[in-house]
Amino acid sequence: MDTLNQLIAGFGIALQPMNLLWALIGCALGTAVGVLPGIGPALTIALLMPLTAKVAPASAFIMFAGILYGAMYGGSTTSILLNTPGESGSVMTALEGNRMARSGRGAAALATAAVGSFVAGTLGTLALTFLAPAIADLAFVFGPEDYFALMVLAFCSVSAVMGKSTLRGLIALFVGLALGSIGIDAQTGQPRMTFGHPELLDGIAFTVVLVALFAIGEGLYLASRHGDAPSVINPLQGGNRMTRADWARSWKPWLRGTLLGFPIGSLPAGGTEIPTFLSYTLERRLSKHPQEFGHGAIEGVAGPEAANNAAAAGMLVPLLTLGLPSTATAAVLLAAFQNYGLQPGPMLFTTNPQLLWGLIASLYIGNVILLVLNLPLVGLWVRLLLIPRPYIYAGIVVFALVGVWGLSTSWMDLALLFGLGLLGYVARSCGFPIAPALIGLILGPQAEIQLRRALAVSQGDFTVLVSTPISIGLLACAGCALLLPALLRWRRSGGNPVYRWSR
Amino acid sequence: MPRRWWLGLGVVALGAVWLWGARSIASTTHFIGLGPSAMITAVGAGLVVLGLLLGWQEWHGLTVPVDDEEGAGPFSGRRFALAVAGIALPLVAMAPLGFPITAMGTFALVARAFGSRRLLLDLLIGAVLGALLWWLFSKLGVHLGKFLPLVR
Repeated sequence: MDTLNQLIAGFGIALQPMNLLWALIGCALGTAVGVLPGIGPALTIALLMPLTAKVAPASAFIMFAGILYGAMYGGSTTSILLNTPGESGSVMTALEGNRMARSGRGAAALATAAVGSFVAGTLGTLALTFLAPAIADLAFVFGPEDYFALMVLAFCSVSAVMGKSTLRGLIALFVGLALGSIGIDAQTGQPRMTFGHPELLDGIAFTVVLVALFAIGEGLYLASRHGDAPSVINPLQGGNRMTRADWARSWKPWLRGTLLGFPIGSLPAGGTEIPTFLSYTLERRLSKHPQEFGHGAIEGVAGPEAANNAAAAGMLVPLLTLGLPSTATAAVLLAAFQNYGLQPGPMLFTTNPQLLWGLIASLYIGNVILLVLNLPLVGLWVRLLLIPRPYIYAGIVVFALVGVWGLSTSWMDLALLFGLGLLGYVARSCGFPIAPALIGLILGPQAEIQLRRALAVSQGDFTVLVSTPISIGLLACAGCALLLPALLRWRRSGGNPVYRWSR
Repeated sequence: MPRRWWLGLGVVALGAVWLWGARSIASTTHFIGLGPSAMITAVGAGLVVLGLLLGWQEWHGLTVPVDDEEGAGPFSGRRFALAVAGIALPLVAMAPLGFPITAMGTFALVARAFGSRRLLLDLLIGAVLGALLWWLFSKLGVHLGKFLPLVR
């Protein structure tokens, strides 16, 4: 009952006219960046980080939540109509969705994607509403050694899952850890790795790293390899709305997608790729019309789209209850919390309930706004792609300058943007994933604090790290996350680990 | 597939910087548990080991494919240089010339890197965008420096 009361109070905050306006801005912005290539929710929220200095926390997070959900909706629009997934979670949608659009059923595909996103987003938010407080209560028994083990698990699983090679994931993670260790040591007040620059005493701003690695690195990569072929716009085929048969074939995939997406999304390094892929495979197997798969089966749009949005809701569970980001977007949200001097975790539910419940309530409202924004206005969003590509990317770089220069009008930030942007280019062109670096950057300092706290309590005895069942379990999972992919590859290649990538 | 063993070398070098930096942090012996330099040392050592592994992998041709967008062309040094110039411009221009003019230059350079041919139009769009953003963000309370520092 307490949860319901809190949620109603949350709606009281989210429904204030100003906050509704922020939610609307967030949803519109999110849909736009979901449609546009080269810019996703993580980057958008990072670029808006300077606003956190001026806007009230509840309003800012309501807007950020709108961006997060809106990007999921927008991403599906472009993958269906243009076969260009804006987000990694919409890759599966493109498979069947674009086929449907080509055979004149684009409107039905868009409708099942939007309604499925709405259903999954709402159910996922419902699960978040009732699950999060319970997990937060559970997290109170976590000692510093358990938190440290949890973060090690996040490090290992993110490095192993993101990207194609665990080694490259680990290197990205360690680069992030290295960048995160710059600045004043929180426990002794000593400057570390600042090389005598006072600007570095506060550490490197998360926004600068994210914008440099994502926006600048990707921009340099695409510019240097940009073909002169103009992008082709496939105009929206009118076609039919969803028929009764479409509804009948869609509702089960929506629910199954939600069931897959939410739990996987809430795991460390769950992300949206795995649940959407699983959902697609599952629908293909369960479908009564398997021959339609590959030629525009509506189940193949409904399932992955639902899984995608449910995973986005699931991602918020570890973030809000444990302060543990599992994706780049969650890492930015964590950085935004830190900008306000807030630490997501079990304490936040007691110290700042208005903010948290306002945020959760705004997720319900955001889903409604997005359904309204997306069903009738799809044609408008697709027009965004008529902006010539040079202007899209030049605009992104100028926005990046706003986001970085607006932080503290510091020359050092611009220099870091430049240097880390070149690093991002190298990472992009040599196949290094970015997300582990971001997770390392933001979680590294916290992992260090928990580790040192645990060791201080135990008087320097390292066995404290494996002294509780929770920490042992989490560290075992971390070991599995690192070793399992390599072992599987080794078995598949018939016991010859050396030449697994050479073909 | 090119063998980029130098990537491993770069990672080792970064690790070496961190190991070297850890030595200049005064150790606080009165502190129970780990001191402030332990994490730096651990990260540096980790980078060195991972860098060596990466170098070994690349040397033996165990590299990973990179996802390319559809229709991606070959590497063009001219376009790359234009884009890099666009990102380097703020380093020299932001403080003396202010945000809108810097945004104009960066916009035009990056747009040209992506194949735009209309320099005047690019400059115009960049200037309008820069001025608009400066105005919008100052309304929202975010300070982007003086509009035109040269004009007093």
